[in-house]
Amino acid sequence: MRPILLQGHERSLTQIKYNKDGDLLFSTAKDHVICAWYSVNGERLGTYHGHQGALWTVDIDPTSTLLATGAADNTIKIWDVKTGKSLKTWDFPTAVKRVEFSEDGTLLLAVTEARMGFLGTLVVFPIIVDVEAQQADAPLFTITFRESKATVAAWSYLNKYIITGHEDGSVSQYDGKSGELIQDIQAHEIGTAGQITDIQMAPDRTYFVTASKDKTAKIIDVDNLKVLKTFVTDTPLNTAALTPKKDFVILGGGQEARDVTTTSQRQGKFEARFYHKIFEDEIGRVRGHFGPLNTIAVHPQGTGYASGGEDGYVRVHHFDKPYFDFTYEVERMKA
Amino acid sequence: EDTFEAETANREVVEARKRQLDEWRAWRERVEKDLKAQRVELGLPEDPNAAQRKKDEAEDTVIE
Repeated sequence: MRPILLQGHERSLTQIKYNKDGDLLFSTAKDHVICAWYSVNGERLGTYHGHQGALWTVDIDPTSTLLATGAADNTIKIWDVKTGKSLKTWDFPTAVKRVEFSEDGTLLLAVTEARMGFLGTLVVFPIIVDVEAQQADAPLFTITFRESKATVAAWSYLNKYIITGHEDGSVSQYDGKSGELIQDIQAHEIGTAGQITDIQMAPDRTYFVTASKDKTAKIIDVDNLKVLKTFVTDTPLNTAALTPKKDFVILGGGQEARDVTTTSQRQGKFEARFYHKIFEDEIGRVRGHFGPLNTIAVHPQGTGYASGGEDGYVRVHHFDKPYFDFTYEVERMKA
Repeated sequence: EDTFEAETANREVVEARKRQLDEWRAWRERVEKDLKAQRVELGLPEDPNAAQRKKDEAEDTVIE
């Protein structure tokens, strides 16, 4: 499983995303530029210029027509994927930390930062998936977080719920149509030690995986917020992804270099960790990054994955035969 | 005696995994059935990817 190294960013990676077909990969970093790559060979397809601050987040609609990005310049931008033209900019009082299209592409959620007297919010915009269309100026609704700000958010199946992960380790479920709070749970350690750093939905969006600074990742049922699985690691986590085809989760994180005394011994040893989704055991690691892993995305057909690091690199991996052959005895018995 | 203990421990691990696998699969079956029902109720195709797959297959056929 020899990785392809994507060199195009000058600062640490913040998010990577495959499009629905899996042939394209989009990456954002703190260097103000969005990159698009061919996932098969790592060739750069293009860049998107226009943001005036660090990029925090990216998503692509299911038809690969529109790209949405959120940045430290307090804007969300919508881009024409093909031409790289900026089609729409929404301004906010604070940075935009996470954007995500709904599964039908008709809605976009965004999480805004809490800062300087502004509370954190989640906004939902209607989207017309057409590069010629005039996008709405105002959001459909805004959720304001009075207690703990949200750090990440995602859409459930059929846009029924919005799930938010918070700075204090809690997970909330909101009505996807009205933005009303339905319920919340203390999914991870309470306080900033349990801060939720990533939420990624399963392909059918009926469950999701969280990553937390408390060194665990959890699989949670999107309907009742019941914690179904817990993955225990020895490092703070920044990202967690689910693999289609195989029942695995891939976790990424690592101590910041400034927090480690033995940095020189850890060169290139920051690892993506593979766990069995059902049995919760660690089954393997892939090393290579020179700093913590900030973001992991899995190819939608389950044929590979990409990781983005604090070191400024994206590493794209294509799974080989032993990966697909790996099964537990009980899985073979009950196949 | 050690072998016996080891075998018992192994058997317990295997039994636990069987249980986990059965529970997961039963839950998935239930959830997938519910989701299909909700999609049908909304007038959507049961499988959201069926149309795309059909299109892909058609395209593949043309290439061949």
